Amino acid sequence: MSALLKVENVTMRFGGLVALNDVSLSIDKGAVLAVIGPNGAGKSTLFNVVTGVYRPTSGRVAFDGAEITGRPTYDIVDRGIARTFQSSRLFSDLSVLDNVIIGMHTRTKTGVLSALFRPRSSRREMATCVERAERLLRLGSGDLFEQRYRPAGTLAQADRRRLEIARALASQPKLLLLDEPSVGMDDVETDALVADIERLRADNPELSVVLIEHDMRVVEAFPQHVTCVDYGSKIAEGDFAAVRADPRVQEAYLGKAVAHA
Amino acid sequence: MQARASLAAPGKAAAAAFTITSQLCGATFLYLILRVDGGWQVVGLLALLGLGFYLLERLPWIADYAMASFARVPLVTMITAAVVVLAFPFFVGSNTYMLHLLIVAELYAVLALALNFQLGSANIPNFATGASYGIGAYVSALLAINFGVSFWLTLPVAALAATLFGFIIGIPSMRTRDTYLALVTIAFGVVVQQLLNNFSWTGGPNGLVGIPAPSLLGHSFADPLVIFGWKLPSQANFYYLSAALVVVAIVTAHRLHASRIGLAWNALRADEIAARAQGINVAWFKVLAFAVDAFLAAFAGTIYAFYVSYISPDNFTFLVSVTIMTMVIVGGMDNVFGVIVGAFLLTILPEKLRAFADYRLLFFGVVIIAFLMIRPQGLFPQRMRRYGGDL
Amino acid sequence: MAELLVQQLVNWITLGCIYALLAIGFSLIFGVLNVIHFSHGDVAMTAPFITLGLAQALATALGASIPAWLVLAVPLAVLAVGLIGVLLDKVVIRRFRDAPAMMALVATVALGIVIRELIRHLYPQGSNPHAFPRLVSGMALEISGVAVSWFALLVVVLTVALVTMLFVFLRMTPLGLRIRAASEDRIVARMMGIRDARVFRATFFIASAIGATAGLLFASYAGVTRFDFGVMAGLLGFSAAVIGGLGSMPGAILGGLIIAGIEVLAQTFVTDGASYRLVFVFLLVIAVLIFRPAGLLGRTVMEKV
Repeated sequence: MSALLKVENVTMRFGGLVALNDVSLSIDKGAVLAVIGPNGAGKSTLFNVVTGVYRPTSGRVAFDGAEITGRPTYDIVDRGIARTFQSSRLFSDLSVLDNVIIGMHTRTKTGVLSALFRPRSSRREMATCVERAERLLRLGSGDLFEQRYRPAGTLAQADRRRLEIARALASQPKLLLLDEPSVGMDDVETDALVADIERLRADNPELSVVLIEHDMRVVEAFPQHVTCVDYGSKIAEGDFAAVRADPRVQEAYLGKAVAHA
Repeated sequence: MQARASLAAPGKAAAAAFTITSQLCGATFLYLILRVDGGWQVVGLLALLGLGFYLLERLPWIADYAMASFARVPLVTMITAAVVVLAFPFFVGSNTYMLHLLIVAELYAVLALALNFQLGSANIPNFATGASYGIGAYVSALLAINFGVSFWLTLPVAALAATLFGFIIGIPSMRTRDTYLALVTIAFGVVVQQLLNNFSWTGGPNGLVGIPAPSLLGHSFADPLVIFGWKLPSQANFYYLSAALVVVAIVTAHRLHASRIGLAWNALRADEIAARAQGINVAWFKVLAFAVDAFLAAFAGTIYAFYVSYISPDNFTFLVSVTIMTMVIVGGMDNVFGVIVGAFLLTILPEKLRAFADYRLLFFGVVIIAFLMIRPQGLFPQRMRRYGGDL
Repeated sequence: MAELLVQQLVNWITLGCIYALLAIGFSLIFGVLNVIHFSHGDVAMTAPFITLGLAQALATALGASIPAWLVLAVPLAVLAVGLIGVLLDKVVIRRFRDAPAMMALVATVALGIVIRELIRHLYPQGSNPHAFPRLVSGMALEISGVAVSWFALLVVVLTVALVTMLFVFLRMTPLGLRIRAASEDRIVARMMGIRDARVFRATFFIASAIGATAGLLFASYAGVTRFDFGVMAGLLGFSAAVIGGLGSMPGAILGGLIIAGIEVLAQTFVTDGASYRLVFVFLLVIAVLIFRPAGLLGRTVMEKV
């Protein structure tokens, strides 16, 4: 099976700072890839390059058989990549439901003229969106559906993370990029998150997931493919056990731990 | 608990009674404030208004109940509104000054609704609405004066010209934001106004005079309007015309708000980067907001030009844009009803406070600052969208 | 031809310095508060009125002529305007520091209206233009047949002096360093225990006092002042700051010179250029913002995602 996403020799420089240094990775259809590494290692930058927020200084990104390097974000989302943000970026003054519906932007079509002159088709499109959004809100753990008319900004931390995932799923992605989805969750909520991701994969066997994670509980649950990044470079990859045993990974984490202590 | 439940979901009869009564009350208030003359009466009405807003704020269920009632019997609501709007001039009678104020308020309501697409929905500052308004007015006036084009034909032409202008001022919004974008729109506004002031074919600072009154089915808008034997002053023609435009603006606003376009604009307002991550073509939607704004503003400009039959660059300055902005902020960003109320209040109040006529701009300035500091969400804050049966 | 050229050169530098002084205020305030103080031009243009009012009051109270009292009135006015700036910050502007940029902008636009209207209503016959004397008169020197006035010289010397003082202040004094730290990164600055209130007060005082100097020079250059001069002064100063790059001092000076240059060029070489000068200026503003959104000397700030 060919890779769904291929990142080849990507380097990202901001002025003198090298955020990503010659990073390559790939992920197959239906697989989960966990990206680990200390804070500031360049993991989120990787997401930003893949989703077209940054244009890499060099290297290329290919998705689903087409090169997407430097394509505008809306095109990349349209092709089937959805993401969540590390510091959850919800539309906080809009309702939970509206947040998810906005996630369907690339899957809806109404333009200004049809909204103005064919209100019925616009309304029908909206009704379908509402129905799908409500289904998505019921899907995950937690009670997002019951809170669907609350402003997203008033949600509890765990619910915010869940809503981000629901919003990302709304665009019917082939590849889901989750940036530290377990931040701010307690153990019970983290377990529920893992169960959510597992259920998601069971429902859509084709869906691929890239996870940026700190919480080893989550990484452990998806141990097949793990990549460790430090100082912008990939330092290890393989299954969880192999990566964890890698001395460079230990150094990256322990070194940090010692430095923090 | 029981009472609460019935309040939340009014029956058909209760809803109909509520919507009719509330609209009649609103109309009466408007009539009174137009009618009164002199300080104390105005102060009294303002106190009443203040009390109303205070109650709305303290008892949020009133607003919920109102919205639920309107949605419960939409037909009754619309018919009542139509009757009120149509019947209003008959009560005003021959008082042309009142009609004039109403027309100006209606045109400002359209302009405020136009700006609301940007300022309210998408939080894009635009200080060039006055310029779009002016372009609409000048294009249609020039067509009518120089080529004898009929009013009805100049309307779409002026709107297209202004929309083009909207696209042009929107283009920098792809690259600039916030403060910088505001400066771009200010710059465009100044450029347009200065050009109108300097070109000879726009009449320079003297502007254009002698714009012919439109006519419809042989009836000239300069003539009094006779309906069922009632004779209304000629201003009534423009009152109804402007009212029709307000309806168009409301329908436009409502349809866009309820579609994915309104949601995309709201997403932009809340978090541009997150909006981009949802696949929204941010640049395009910004430009679109500018174009829609200019389109509606041009309609208002055309009607204004034909109504007063004389326009000059002074009618379309930076201060006009600020005035429109004040109405949106005071009324409530992204709330169609609120924006209209804002436009009416801020058109009529300064006129009524005759003693303060000279202090009008000062009044505007203080009102904007006060609102931004104390109540940035405006008199009527935006409301969450409700879908289907969830009311 | 050469005479005209030199004459226009002198005009350009004079006007450019005045705009630069205005732009510095915009840039300084934006750097520290991240807020555009749109009424800065109006604040600056209160200075000529305060000066005139003070001189008149002193003349009627204590005798002697109005021009004689200008020597005292001018520095007092600069001081007063600096304090007005501090007051406006405390009462209004500071509250919009963390609000969306748009709100701060609209609020300060409204503040500008309030200031203008207050001048109009409070100053005797405020709606009318008032003659404003040249602060210094006479010709200082001659360059290839063109007499350069003391006034032009004063403008240049004052600008250089103020910019140098500001530069030294920002780099050498503890308070100046804190202002710079605050403008580099507000949150970091706050965490390092820099007391915001003092930094804000100092920033507004300095920006407004420099603005007041610019306002006085502007009125003196024009020979007249009017309640609504602040609009144009503000727009041109703001444009200069933006063209140069908001937050950048050298940018503000460059922007001032560019805008003045366009004005002078338009007036000299384009028929009817005087009436179209604003059109040219603002077309340039638009062009710069499209092609270099961060301004000519501004840093592009990458937003953290």
